[in-house]
Amino acid sequence: MKRKLPLFFFTLLFTIISCKVEPKKINYGKDHCLNCDMTVVDKSHVAQYVTKKGKAFMFDAVECLIKTLLKENNEDQMAFILVADYGNPDNLVDAKTASFLISKKIKSPMGANLSAFSSIETAKKAQSMHGGKLYTWSELKIKLSEQ
Amino acid sequence: MNAFIPIFSPKNFIKNEVKLFLIFLLFLLTIQINSQTKTIQVCTTCDVKTIKKAITLANDRDTIFVKKGIYKETKIYINKGIHLIGEDFPVIDAENKTDSVFAIKADNFSISGFKIKNVGMSYTKEIAGIFVSHSNNFVIKNNRMENVFYGFILQRTKYGLLSNNKIIGEFKTEATSGNGFHLWKCENMRIEKNIVSGMRDGIYLEFVTNSHISNNTSANNIRYGLHFMFSHKNEYHHNEFKKNGAGVAVMFSKFIKMHHNTFHYNWGTASYGLLLKEINDAEIVDNIFEQNTIGINIDGCNRINYKNNHFIRNGWALKFTGGCYTNIFEYNNFMHNAFDLSYNSRLNDNKFEANYWSEYNGYDIDKNGIGDIAHRPVKLFSYVVNKTPETLVLLRSLFVDIINFSEKVSPVFTPNNLKDNKPLMKPINPL
Repeated sequence: MKRKLPLFFFTLLFTIISCKVEPKKINYGKDHCLNCDMTVVDKSHVAQYVTKKGKAFMFDAVECLIKTLLKENNEDQMAFILVADYGNPDNLVDAKTASFLISKKIKSPMGANLSAFSSIETAKKAQSMHGGKLYTWSELKIKLSEQ
Repeated sequence: MNAFIPIFSPKNFIKNEVKLFLIFLLFLLTIQINSQTKTIQVCTTCDVKTIKKAITLANDRDTIFVKKGIYKETKIYINKGIHLIGEDFPVIDAENKTDSVFAIKADNFSISGFKIKNVGMSYTKEIAGIFVSHSNNFVIKNNRMENVFYGFILQRTKYGLLSNNKIIGEFKTEATSGNGFHLWKCENMRIEKNIVSGMRDGIYLEFVTNSHISNNTSANNIRYGLHFMFSHKNEYHHNEFKKNGAGVAVMFSKFIKMHHNTFHYNWGTASYGLLLKEINDAEIVDNIFEQNTIGINIDGCNRINYKNNHFIRNGWALKFTGGCYTNIFEYNNFMHNAFDLSYNSRLNDNKFEANYWSEYNGYDIDKNGIGDIAHRPVKLFSYVVNKTPETLVLLRSLFVDIINFSEKVSPVFTPNNLKDNKPLMKPINPL
């Protein structure tokens, strides 16, 4: 038993490492947007989805992520759908619980004037400062599919 | 009848003319009186010590001369049509404050001869050395910027000239630097003879129309040398784009003319000379693409004429990645590229005719300068590389030569009609 223990741990470690489905760190300036092929640079507007198999794809803007989801119709295959918390760079939050603001005062990389916020309070605060309209994740998908 | 004659006599006519002339002189004089403008001097030992103070004193059409020195000012608002001239490059140091140095909302103004430095960065605010909005008819020239977040931001402006400006960025990380020239919803702008380096995008245009970008040098920028988004009917020519992170990107735009530009040394796994994404009805003429990983990456572009371009020593001269229809390639030089053409589908609706291909190994028996057998520019191996990029190490192997040759003889994977029926024996306008 004693001899087998390290082996057991090693196998366990290996399975944990290889099978972990988790968001990937975004390599700014190197990663390309899956939808528009632009280099990802804007920390306030990036987005990412990770499939259930563990493959991560980056987007330079939330609108690119939604367009791809609508085009591929593959939202149910995603383990994570993450969007950048506006004004809190490098912090990605779950898109389904995030609040979204479309405001002409805050420009996003692909022209939709769309930003995401981790909580409804910060979103409302931004709305009172910049104007615009708030959306939830499901409302936002309907709004963008209309275009 | 007689009564009318004197009026038209020559003598009277001259009298009338003299009268008219006098009235005209009087008119000129009144203008002269009205346009009495003043000049204001700013220096550390003058009465007026700050640029802000000078602007509050000035009226429309006045000129402010700023002498050499260091001015620690930000948030300099200009809402008058004044001329601001720096002598011997006075330095405006923003001391890394997160505010724009100049914020301008005026017509008929000009700014020249300043050196602006140390503008702080922010993730949520757009901060620039010179920020112009809602302005018409202006000139911004001969300014220098160092270590600025954004160089110039222009929003909703018309008829502006930006020339001979020099922006040197500090090569920070991608996300913490801004663009050299950032134009948003502008019309009829001219961007000429500027130098931009070390910024995120050298020149960025979003919703900009009818503008000319010429004779600029955009080098060593972290992302793109020039970046078009949703900007129609523009023209860019005689620019040089060198060693940028990913080259030049022209996206989602119509009726763009690109000519006499040089795209070179854009090397890297995801780098290209020129990225075209969903471009329609464009002209790409007389450009030089030299030593780029990909000369032009073409994705979903239709009705583009490529003429007289030089593709020299690129990894891929042309790489098609999306549906591209009715493009015409004629009189181009394809010289010493690893791949002249990479194609992603079996369909071809693009015309290749009368180009020079350095790889062409046919003959010209009738000596008319046109090869007697057609040239097939797509190699089978480029398909293999598209699918599995790692195979690139086999590029110069005998096996690869054999499969390329067999495909040339009887095309199976490459589009059958993708060929140049009139390949030229000599290059066009050699450099």
